[in-house]
Amino acid sequence: MAEAKTILVRIKRQAGPRETPRWEEFSVRWRPNMNVIACLIDIAENPVTSDGQKTTPVSYEANCLEEVCGACAMVINGRSRQACSALVDHLEQPIRLEPMTKFPLVRDLVVDRSRMFNDAKRMRCWVPIDGTYAIGPGPRIAPERQEVAYALSRCIFCGNCLEVCPKVNEHSDFVGAAIVNQVRLFNMHPTGAMHAHERLRAVRGPGGIQECDNAQNCVKACPKGIPLTESNNDVNRQALLDSIFGWIFH
Amino acid sequence: MPGKTAATAEIQPEAAVVPAAVPDRSYIWDKIHSLTGIVPIGAFLLEHFWSNSYALVSVDRYNQQSFDLQTIPWRVPVEALLIWIPLLYHGFYGIFIWSKGKANLSRYSYGANWMYVMQRWTGLIAFVFIGWHVYVERFITQGRSNYFDVVTTLSNPLYLTFYVIGILAVSFHFGNGLWQFSNKWGLAVGARAQRKAAWVAGAIGVLFAVVGLLIVCSFVFHWQPFQFYAQ
Repeated sequence: MAEAKTILVRIKRQAGPRETPRWEEFSVRWRPNMNVIACLIDIAENPVTSDGQKTTPVSYEANCLEEVCGACAMVINGRSRQACSALVDHLEQPIRLEPMTKFPLVRDLVVDRSRMFNDAKRMRCWVPIDGTYAIGPGPRIAPERQEVAYALSRCIFCGNCLEVCPKVNEHSDFVGAAIVNQVRLFNMHPTGAMHAHERLRAVRGPGGIQECDNAQNCVKACPKGIPLTESNNDVNRQALLDSIFGWIFH
Repeated sequence: MPGKTAATAEIQPEAAVVPAAVPDRSYIWDKIHSLTGIVPIGAFLLEHFWSNSYALVSVDRYNQQSFDLQTIPWRVPVEALLIWIPLLYHGFYGIFIWSKGKANLSRYSYGANWMYVMQRWTGLIAFVFIGWHVYVERFITQGRSNYFDVVTTLSNPLYLTFYVIGILAVSFHFGNGLWQFSNKWGLAVGARAQRKAAWVAGAIGVLFAVVGLLIVCSFVFHWQPFQFYAQ
């Protein structure tokens, strides 16, 4: 029997937010159609580095394994993407895994992306329907509109668009393309549109749409193929019109 | 709370109730920055290339045009309001915007990301060039620059090189700036509209570069292809 094929995985590890990072290399037995998560599962089962040192299992986040939950975003071979759709056979070896750099680090490959959810709240990215009585069904949405909105609604809050954005860093509080896209999505919704002015005011706030400088990495990095630059420009238009004429109607 | 982002940032406990963000001044300042690039700076650039194109007609027409511009009523206030203040604002605010970004071209070398980086460097080159250009052609000559002042400046190969680099940087910055403007003001929204806007803006940038270099050639080689207009 031929010797089992192995793959090398180098992982940037850090035991906690305040610890110093270090690199560890693991060798994993190759199997057909492996993705990066499969490597991480193998490493977790047998946390021994390629030079035989016993170590702690690598912490990482993953859930759906089919690019719909957003949990497993990390920097793979220098580029931010989902680990589940990163197939080992398509990657240059050794495979380098690093945590995302634009979010507070928790441990190893785990980062805390709750700022995205917080920013979505600050920008009022939901349709308010809660009340003391039933308000009945909402208006119907034309199929053409549904088609556009559906593409926008596919966002999984993975944070890749923030990771690749030159304007998201410690010197700027830009909320990132994902949140701007949510503003567009909920302004498109007939019930959500009733609060469009509030959203458009919020998106002109600290870290708002004005911070976007069109490096347009977001749209390339988006695993869901959301037309993020379109959303940015559309929200730019809406926010501008709202800033000029909004006060007349509100 | 808008959280500063970085791997080293502290993990914040999640807030149960988050107040909506409200517009702050940075929105207005950014919009003014983007607008001043087109009007009045871009508009003045057009006027400037137009007036300097008189060098392609004749020395007399060039000097006449220069004199006409130098003797407009309210000259200094007009210069200050339409050129100096917008230019200083655009330049320094641009550097401030630059300071808020962290380029990542080596990792993500996409076309628009190149434009993002180039826009910053050409902006800086243009700002330095324009500062020197205004000093040499406006202040040293006491606001009475004519054809031969420009010829004298361009006879120095170092200055000539700086002019060529300056013109290319300004043209790129203006062309790409037009595309940026179409994005930032929501004029071109869809992917196709963005592409078309990029073609138009690119063509305008190239046009400015070509005309600018032809004007330089005119001064250096005393080349006046439109001289027959004046005969």
